[in-house]
Parts: sequence; structure tokens; C-alpha cells
Amino acid sequence: MTGVLLGVGDLSVGVHSSGLSYDIVRDVSFDLYQNEILAVVGESGCGKSLTALSILSLQSSPPLRVTSGSIMFGGRDLLKLPPTELRKVRGKEISMIFQDPMTALDPMFTVGTLLTTAVRAHQKVSKARAEEISLAALADAGIEDPRRRFGEYAFQLSGGISQRVMIALALVNSPKVIIADEPTTALDVTVQAQILERLLMLKKDRGMSIILITHNLGVVASVADRVVVMYSGEIVETGSVADVFKSAQHPYTHGLLRAVPRLGSATKPLTAIPGRVPQPVEIPAGCVFAPRCERVTNVCHEVRPALLIRGPSAVRCHNPID
Amino acid sequence: MKAVLRRTLTMLLLLMVSSFAVFAAIRLSGGDVTAARLPASASAEDRALFRQQVGLDKPIINQYFTYLGKLATGDLGNSLTNNARLSTLATEKIRNSLILGGSSMVVIFALGIPLGMIAAMRRNSWLDTGITSVSVAGMAIPNFWLALISIYVFSTLLGWLPSAGQGGIRYLILPTLVLSAEGIALTVRMTRSAMLENLGQDFVRTLRAAGVSERRIHLKHVLRSSLMPLISLAGLRVGQIAGYALVVETIFGWAGVGQALVNAVLRRDYPVVQLFSLLLVALVTLGNLMATVGYTLANPRLRKYS
Repeated sequence: MTGVLLGVGDLSVGVHSSGLSYDIVRDVSFDLYQNEILAVVGESGCGKSLTALSILSLQSSPPLRVTSGSIMFGGRDLLKLPPTELRKVRGKEISMIFQDPMTALDPMFTVGTLLTTAVRAHQKVSKARAEEISLAALADAGIEDPRRRFGEYAFQLSGGISQRVMIALALVNSPKVIIADEPTTALDVTVQAQILERLLMLKKDRGMSIILITHNLGVVASVADRVVVMYSGEIVETGSVADVFKSAQHPYTHGLLRAVPRLGSATKPLTAIPGRVPQPVEIPAGCVFAPRCERVTNVCHEVRPALLIRGPSAVRCHNPID
Repeated sequence: MKAVLRRTLTMLLLLMVSSFAVFAAIRLSGGDVTAARLPASASAEDRALFRQQVGLDKPIINQYFTYLGKLATGDLGNSLTNNARLSTLATEKIRNSLILGGSSMVVIFALGIPLGMIAAMRRNSWLDTGITSVSVAGMAIPNFWLALISIYVFSTLLGWLPSAGQGGIRYLILPTLVLSAEGIALTVRMTRSAMLENLGQDFVRTLRAAGVSERRIHLKHVLRSSLMPLISLAGLRVGQIAGYALVVETIFGWAGVGQALVNAVLRRDYPVVQLFSLLLVALVTLGNLMATVGYTLANPRLRKYS
């Protein structure tokens, strides 16, 4: 971990169209360092995917729009780049892997065509050279028979192979950062492990930085260096994986960790967090987690807590666990 | 391949059935073929004699088998009204109709697809509103009315284009536009909605994330998926043109199959009606068959697994 590579600052994203106006992601800030895997974890609808998509302005707009904030990369704010400049960042500097590989690949073209199209979107190379680069990327993504896959269509591939093709597509222009949005959610467990191992290799062998969006704490524990915990559109806690897992400071993180089943502890029933996540239109005035929190006090209902920096960690709580 | 074979057999069966349907229907519809052939002063005996000569006095089913037998030997028969050999008569009509119908098919896709793409890519702009409104009009306006209005405007008022007949390309313009109007409108709307639907697909986001330009995403990837429904419905367009040709050729005095068929029906010229009706049926089924083949070839999944 040396310098900051990508800095998300006070990012708010929301629905802003005729009659509707509310933020789904509020004041999200985090830094991605060189050569690290940063996990963004949270339950469905907490805004983690939207945060990830917003980094490259890939959210469906309209109706989703960035309301405020900055995304600093290489001295430039990606949110202020004109479309032609942004296109040069996408895939070349920062690329993305999506959740459902089966629908994320264009069914009308071969894997090879998709890869060479991506190569030639950024590099002025011959067709033959683009093919070489593509085949190398397929091999790097852990595909055993690159030449065969090169000529196949998405519908001929299994889920695991499709996701490796997605990884190859993300790698093909050697970006510095990969954003992986739930890359293993649609896959079965053995394939999940292989894909995660591949991401770890990218970090180790190529010095890449990865933002890993997931709802799976097991995934976070096995590959990530640092973790950002999101709840209802806000960051509630950040820190190194070791610190957060050993001593979570936010009651939500604490509750999440207690809700994970562990092998060999069948004696204790799993703890659930009572209540449900508030809808983006009904965000309470104080702390978003207050209605469900077991450490709630009066101040929690009235004042929204700031993200409190505590050493390498940060927590958004009036009554953090020590 | 199996599907194509099955469709070809179905097509032959359909031709058989429709040949009988046409054969019987035109004979059962009443009217008198001698009215067009013999002078008004002809006596009842003369008329009966004429019917006997051409075999119209026999039961319909017998006539039908005689007709099939001749058809099998390649004898299409003669017109009842002027005795012309149908094989020579048909060649010119078919050529004329193919010119008009073919240019209409080309115009439908050559105008419909780009206009639909522009509307989708400039969604909700004045250009989109304009294209969409005109295409609604194109679907709502009946072609006979459009034909009369366009003749009035472009021939009578402005004098730019001839109102009827055959000749150079100038004679082709008005009938082609009228014949293709509804097809253009439908193609515009289908292209537009397919483009918009495919723009929301996950694979578009993947291409964007890879840094592929919007232009390339639209023109190569989204368009490719959007063309599939157009291919599968191209067969319907053929049928539509074949049907509308009856009206449009008649109004514009275009000496094609449509006009000949309308005239033959009015004169109860049975052999001509039978031949041209069958040609239209064959054309429509062939159009659908080709659309199926085209769809299979254009869709990689079907191409790989069939």
C-alpha cells in the first residue's frame, strides 16, 4: 500500500427526475490504495453497486444522477470529464466486472470479437495484434483453451467461463484498477473460489488494485485488505479487514458478523438484526441505523453522526463499540 | 435445416390447398365469363356453346383435375377473354410487379431502419417526435387514399411526376412510395423500440465499461440485436406488399400481377385469376420461408444448434 490511486469524496447519487428527488447513496468517501483489494460490503439495496457504477458514470441515467461529490483519479475528477475523455478511462485505466456474466456479454458476437473490439477501442493495433492481446488476456483470466473460447459465443459458455471471459475483457487493456461488482454471486461455490483466487493473483502478480463489491462477508475475509461497510446508502464503518472482523465498532457491522453462521458452533442460535432497512425516501433525520440499533440513545434519533476517524479505521456512530 | 425442409413441404401443401380454394371460389362467386368475351347481342345458345368449348359446363371437381393435369405438364392455359397464352402474358406482368415490389422492399428497409435508429438515438428530441408522428400517420392512412392524394399533389398540382403508366424511374417513384408507406412506418417503429430495448441490456453496460464508443455500441452491437425481429417479420412485409399491390397497381395503372388479377376477377377470367392468385400465395410463403432461413442464419444460437 503506497499512494492513493482513486479517491471517492462525498459522493451522493440519487433519483432525480420528474417529481422524484432523493439520494440513494449519501456522502460516500473512501480511498483506494495501490495494490490493494478494497471490499465494499453491505446488504442488497445499500447502494454499494450504485457507488461502484458511479465511479465510471455507468449508472442508468436518467433517472440516476450524481448529486454531488468527486471521484479523483490521476489528478482528475472523473465526474467532470467530458464523455470522450471518460471513454478513454473506461477499460483502459479502470475497468469493471459485472454480477451476471451470462447477460453481460453480447450474445450476437464471439468472445474474440468482443475482446478485440475492446482492445481496438484504446489501442491502434492491427487485427492480428489485437487477437494476440486478446488471447493472452483469456489465458491471464485463467481460461485453459483460449483459442477455442475465442471463437465461441456467450451462450456456449458456462457461468464460470463467462465470468473468466468478463475478467479477460476487464484485463485486456491492462488497467490499473478493476471494479468487481458481485463477481461471484451468480456462480456456484467451487467456481467462486477460483474466481476469487484469480482476483488475488491479479493483485499479487500485476500489482492491480481492486474494488470488490460483495454482500458476502466470507469473500471479504478471504481476499480483501480493507473493507468499507455500507448501510442504507451510507458508509457506517471502514478499516482493515483484520480490525473490522476482530473488533467491529459499529453496531451494524457487529450485528452482521454475528449473523454469519460458523461451522462447529451449532449450539448458539444465529443472531438477526431486528427491523428492516429504511427505503431511500424514508431516511430518518438522525442515524440511519438508529431504528434497529441496540445501543441507541436519544441523540441518535436527532443528530446524524459524522464519520469519526479512529486511527486507520473510521466509524459513523454516536456510541461505537470499543 | 430440418425446419427449412418442413417449411418447404408445408409450403407445397399450402399451394395445393389454396389452388383448389381459388379455383372453387372464383367459380362459385357467380358472374359470367361470356359477358367479357362475347358481344352483348350473343344468344343464350352461343353463350352455352362457348362454356362447353372451354369446359365450364363440367362439374367443378372434374374441371379442377383437368386443370391440375395441364399444370403438371407445364400448360398454364389461355386467357378466356383474349385467348393469349398465359405463359407469355405472365412473364411481363411478373417482371413489372417484381420491379415495383422489389423497389418497395428496398425502400422499406433502406428508409425504415435508419429512421428508426435516428429516432432511438435521439430519443425524445424533436427529430424523434417528428419521425414517430409521421410513422403513426403512415400506419393510419389507407394506401388507396394516400395514392389518390399523392397523385393530386405531385401530378396534378405540381406536375413533378407522372400519375400512371410505365416508363423510366419517374414512373416508379409514386407507386413505390405509396406501396411502401405502411412498411416504412412499421419498420421505423420496430427498429426504434428494439433499439431502445436493447440499449437497456446488460451487455451495453459491459461495452461501455470497456471503453467502446457510443457510436460503435449503437451501430454495431445494439443494431445487430435489433435487426433480428425485423428479419423475422420481413416475410410479413412481402405479404403486405403483395396484397397492397392489387390496389396500388390498379390506381397507378401499373401493368403488373396485381392489376391483371383485379381485371381478371372483374371479367371472371378464371385461368388468369388462378395463375396470379397462386403466384401471390407462392410469393408470400416463399417470403416467409426466406425470413425463417435468414433469421436462422443471422442468429448465432440457431446457427450453431440447427
